[in-house]
Amino acid sequence: MAVQAERRPLGDNAKAWALNAPAMIVIALLIAYPIAYSFWVSLQRNNLKRPRANKFIGLDNYQALLSDQAFLSALKVSAVFVLVVLGLTVVLALILALVLNERFRGRGLLLSLALLPWAMPGVVNGLMWRTIFDAKTGALNGLLTQLGLIDDYHAWLTSGTGAFLFTALAQVWNTLPFSVIILLAGLSTIPSELYDAATVDRAGAVQRFVQVTLPWLLHPLLIVLILETMNAFRAFDTIYVLTGGGPGDATTTIALLDVQTVLTFTDFGLGSAYAWVITAITLLISVGYIGLLYRKGNFEV
Amino acid sequence: MSTVVKVPLRYRIPWKKIVLYVLAVVFALYLVLPFYWIVAMSFMHEVDAISVPPHWIPVHPTLENYLGFIHPSEAQQLVGGRAIDETPYSLRNSLIVATSTAILNLALATFAAYSFSRLKFRGSQVLLMLYLLTRMVPGIAIIIPFYLLMRTFGLLDTYLALILSYTTFALPITIWILKDFFRSVPRELEEAARVDRCGWFRTMWSVFLPVAAPGLVAAAVFAFMTAWNEFMFALFLTSTRAAKTIPVVAANFATDFNTQFTVMAAAGVLAVVPPLALALLFQRKLVQGMAAGSVKG
Repeated sequence: MAVQAERRPLGDNAKAWALNAPAMIVIALLIAYPIAYSFWVSLQRNNLKRPRANKFIGLDNYQALLSDQAFLSALKVSAVFVLVVLGLTVVLALILALVLNERFRGRGLLLSLALLPWAMPGVVNGLMWRTIFDAKTGALNGLLTQLGLIDDYHAWLTSGTGAFLFTALAQVWNTLPFSVIILLAGLSTIPSELYDAATVDRAGAVQRFVQVTLPWLLHPLLIVLILETMNAFRAFDTIYVLTGGGPGDATTTIALLDVQTVLTFTDFGLGSAYAWVITAITLLISVGYIGLLYRKGNFEV
Repeated sequence: MSTVVKVPLRYRIPWKKIVLYVLAVVFALYLVLPFYWIVAMSFMHEVDAISVPPHWIPVHPTLENYLGFIHPSEAQQLVGGRAIDETPYSLRNSLIVATSTAILNLALATFAAYSFSRLKFRGSQVLLMLYLLTRMVPGIAIIIPFYLLMRTFGLLDTYLALILSYTTFALPITIWILKDFFRSVPRELEEAARVDRCGWFRTMWSVFLPVAAPGLVAAAVFAFMTAWNEFMFALFLTSTRAAKTIPVVAANFATDFNTQFTVMAAAGVLAVVPPLALALLFQRKLVQGMAAGSVKG
């Protein structure tokens, strides 16, 4: 080919790395360095309010975690929160994606509406649901009363379980669109011949779903599971505004506890240890995710 | 097979259609009603908004909640006056920070993404994986060092601190999205330009980038939305109206106990309008980008 004969001042290798250099420098400075530094801080007693007591204490912060009630409780809250949010999101997203995959009047409108929660900042999501769940004037109370489903207004967020469930519901509303889009993209790749064949075989709707749709959706579903697990695990904005972690510590997830530890108690050492536990767990999940993409061949360049 | 069963022609109830439309309506209501409620409330007087049973439409529509951000009334001044005062500033701050983030991101990501879409080079897979891995790093893991770093350099409560942190968030995603968009740009264009003896930069600037423009816009919108919606870093890094972004001020409304719900709703609506408008305007490209990169913006 003629292109080969041209003079090439730089090999592709050098050129590519040069092109990547700016992004790599920024990432190294602003992510790699802080992460390493945060590990260093987690090995110290480091409280902004008592700077003179700062000292290197090795793994003591981590050792303290094992008997730290606040930490263990937050870890449990986070785990259950992930399970509830994930379960609801996947089921709702799957149904909505299946609906959007059909042809019907108003499909475009529904797709646009589905982007609405995605565009909404987590903080606004939190304050929106606060006005809806409000005990005295909330829209949920009003609606359920008018429909005759409840007699009196309820204080939805005052019991620990109630607050937890309603916080999860608010989180689901916010993260739903993302899963829907990924599943919808997966659905649209299913060749229609498969459905035709199944129809010829007189497979019912349920059979078609189990035998044709589900196997094809396995991969997008796994991606949704992994990414939504990570999102729910580090959920912060909505919870912070909706319940602030309360009542008691019923909705204090690990991310919330970490921010409280740092912002309120200025305990940077312990806060960094919390952060590193979160990082380690997230990293484990993302290794699974990347392995998955890798197997699918998403990485061919 | 010999006997033909005679089935009387009868009208079959189109169950599939019915289920489909019922589900579509239920989902539409689920998606839109919560948002409708704060929009409606933002145009209500406080009395109407907290009435029992609730008014579902503003019976006496008013703009006072919005106008209050410019000239707060005495009552508004009394409850949650600070957050009200800070709202216009925070909108300006958010706009500046998000726009700068989008531009800086594009400048950095375009080069990297180009290399993945056009060049074969050693280590490209590892590098791509590393970018993805950095995207997975939870913000909370770097927030403490970030805070200490910014404090050392005297950058707390400045735009720069926010722009830098949001750029690092958005950069890996932007590279992933752009890489996919760039691949769909036909190579022949650049080869034609090369035949015409255009230099590499010239080719990029006047041939490649204009063709790739839709992808660039989509990536910029992603970065803008990431920056606009972010809360945790803004909470740590800002403290006054000089740099507080709209999520921080909106959260102030929520954590303040005697806030009027109507004013809070108005602030919430103002905070949603820019990202929502962008999402609807660039719907197709964004959906494409989300699906391609499997990333959350």
